[in-house]
Amino acid sequence: MLDVASEARQIKNLINVKGITGLLPQLTDGTKLYNPNALKEIADQLASWSQKAGHTDFEISSYTILGVKDRLKKPLFATPLHVKDLVYTEEIGYPGEKPYTRGIHYTMYRGKKITIRPIVGFGTPEDTNKRIHFLLKSGATGINIVFDLPTIQEYDSDHPFAAGQVGLCGVAIDSVEDMKALFKDVPLNELSISLTTHYPSNTMILMSMYLVAAEEMGIDLGELRGTVQNCPIMETVVRTSPESLPPKAVYKLHVDNVEFLRKTVPKWNYVTYNGYNLREAGVDEFTEIAVAFANAIETSLQLMSRGHRPDDFLDRMAFFWGIGNDLFLEAARMRAARRLWYKITRYVLGAQSPRSWWCRFHVQTSGISLTREEPLNNIVRSTLHALAGILGGAQSMHVSCYDEAYSIPTEAAHLLSLRTQQIILEETGIADVIDPLAGSFYVEWLTNESEKGILSELDMLLKGGGIINAIEEGVLHRIIAEFSYKEQSMIQEGIIKLVGVNCYRSDAKVPEIDVFRYPPDAEERQRKKLEKLRKERDNETVADRLDAIKEAATREENLFPYVLEAVRERATEGEVFNVLKSIYGVWKPLVRI
Amino acid sequence: MEPSLRGVKVIVAKLGLDTHWKGAIIVSYMLKNAGADVIYLGNSMPEDIINTVIDEDPHVVGVSSLGGAHLSLGSKLIEQAKKEGVFEERIYVMGGVIPPQDIPTLYQLGFSLVFGPGTTERDIVTNIVKKLREKGLLTTS
Repeated sequence: MLDVASEARQIKNLINVKGITGLLPQLTDGTKLYNPNALKEIADQLASWSQKAGHTDFEISSYTILGVKDRLKKPLFATPLHVKDLVYTEEIGYPGEKPYTRGIHYTMYRGKKITIRPIVGFGTPEDTNKRIHFLLKSGATGINIVFDLPTIQEYDSDHPFAAGQVGLCGVAIDSVEDMKALFKDVPLNELSISLTTHYPSNTMILMSMYLVAAEEMGIDLGELRGTVQNCPIMETVVRTSPESLPPKAVYKLHVDNVEFLRKTVPKWNYVTYNGYNLREAGVDEFTEIAVAFANAIETSLQLMSRGHRPDDFLDRMAFFWGIGNDLFLEAARMRAARRLWYKITRYVLGAQSPRSWWCRFHVQTSGISLTREEPLNNIVRSTLHALAGILGGAQSMHVSCYDEAYSIPTEAAHLLSLRTQQIILEETGIADVIDPLAGSFYVEWLTNESEKGILSELDMLLKGGGIINAIEEGVLHRIIAEFSYKEQSMIQEGIIKLVGVNCYRSDAKVPEIDVFRYPPDAEERQRKKLEKLRKERDNETVADRLDAIKEAATREENLFPYVLEAVRERATEGEVFNVLKSIYGVWKPLVRI
Repeated sequence: MEPSLRGVKVIVAKLGLDTHWKGAIIVSYMLKNAGADVIYLGNSMPEDIINTVIDEDPHVVGVSSLGGAHLSLGSKLIEQAKKEGVFEERIYVMGGVIPPQDIPTLYQLGFSLVFGPGTTERDIVTNIVKKLREKGLLTTS
């Protein structure tokens, strides 16, 4: 038997040549749902129907924001002929059972309600702490922390690059002290906390701060539940920065994080492959999932080459999807994603344990689909998005707020976002029956088409070089750039319709909405805290701990434990980032125009 | 006739840390389609942008800001351009989410054009052509 590292090498070579498609088994078992006689009758009747209807050309593309557009031609209506080879037991099956088309849990929302996980973060940690307590009192069952740009890009609040950006669009975190202030009086051992760290490199630093904060608050690391993003695509493609670490270094830190957290914080989800932000940057429903899967496959192979078996790490990998306007396609592709991920983990990566086959995901309703014009219309848009997420079987959700195009949400907008989910879940009966769209000829066909669409894109990304190569060569950047330009043109030409923006424009005066005002002086307050911290900590020890990170890097060790010890001594985020830059250098993504 | 940017060299950059690069890319494509030679720099601080201006000698320097740093980094950019002697003989353009009350300030600083949300492809190209003509930087028709 091959050792797991050689196995990884072999899989990588196979994928390179055959793509993922070439490694998946063909369906052999099971009886087809529709019998040939019935299908023939339907085909005959359809022929005479189309004569009567005068229709021969049934197919249209549908043009929605962030949609597949011409990649999918939709029929006028669907019949069993669209899914004539359907084998129920193999392709749809039962909840909690392979291939998980219907959901990953046996009882889905009856057993485990969706986690209502609103996004929160602005100003200083002290400011955000107040909003966290407001949301928890209003029925949030999880919390999703977002960080300001300097924190995401790993600059301290007093760095010149941070000027004017501290506490905007997220909370500012510079040190362990900030992390403690952020979660003051929040029961970290009872709640599930998501840290939207985006990058692998800042995940290592911010998660270290979170762990030290929890320890100092007297909480056992074994009790902590939650998620970090730790997504290489976020660091190398979606977000760009004046100083990015090179892709290979990003993947190394990513895998270090997984390895360390797996061992140290057993209930923690150490990666969320982020489709959402990539989608919002500018890709369609299929590319979003294909890139996230390509990313997850790459890191799985890297973990295997470090000697970890797939069943040792796949069970805590999660995904994050955006939900756009094409409701049925959105629900269908989440079903397709579950079925395809099952096949990939089992047949390509060789995972044996059912938990490793689960495609678990958080969803966020699309922010970029929301408009600045007539902002109350966004409440309707987000509600439909949320509906698609629940029909698609999401594990956790954030509903974007209607004031998205203006600022981060006001307290009232935040509450409405919680209420949207609560109304769907508690008042409408939508979540009573699992996977209610199953068996619809249209939705099953869309599910099949989504699976095909994702697979072909996955093959394109992985054949002949792999995802890291695609990043280095600027392939993903180009996909986003071309997609965005095309989409913008379609909006300008009115092909993609936006009500109140490029169609049904109204001169009627729309009531103004309240817009969030940032708490004043966040930058000044963060600066003062940093000044105090730098004065009071033991600067010699901090310097030693920072040096130790560098030394560990030359020995090619896992860097997480060294970063943890540095931040414990109150090294700041920016100081650790400086060390990482000195080790790996900086890189500029290649965007060709 | 469609306004043309043939023979015009443009540098486009994201100003500072702001990561919303989509708008900058879309505008880069628009300018390229209008005939311009476009260099997309990605995220850059004012000093880096001006260093590239020195090397490339473009007609147009376009910076995009959606993260609220348009005034602080915008003024640094112009300051640096003047300091290095590359402010004249070209135009500086700002685009992004710019609150209306800040637009006059940006013009005062030295930006020739400011494009906010909702600006169309035609607006952008036409106005750049017009400004270049005014400055005598575009002589061909």
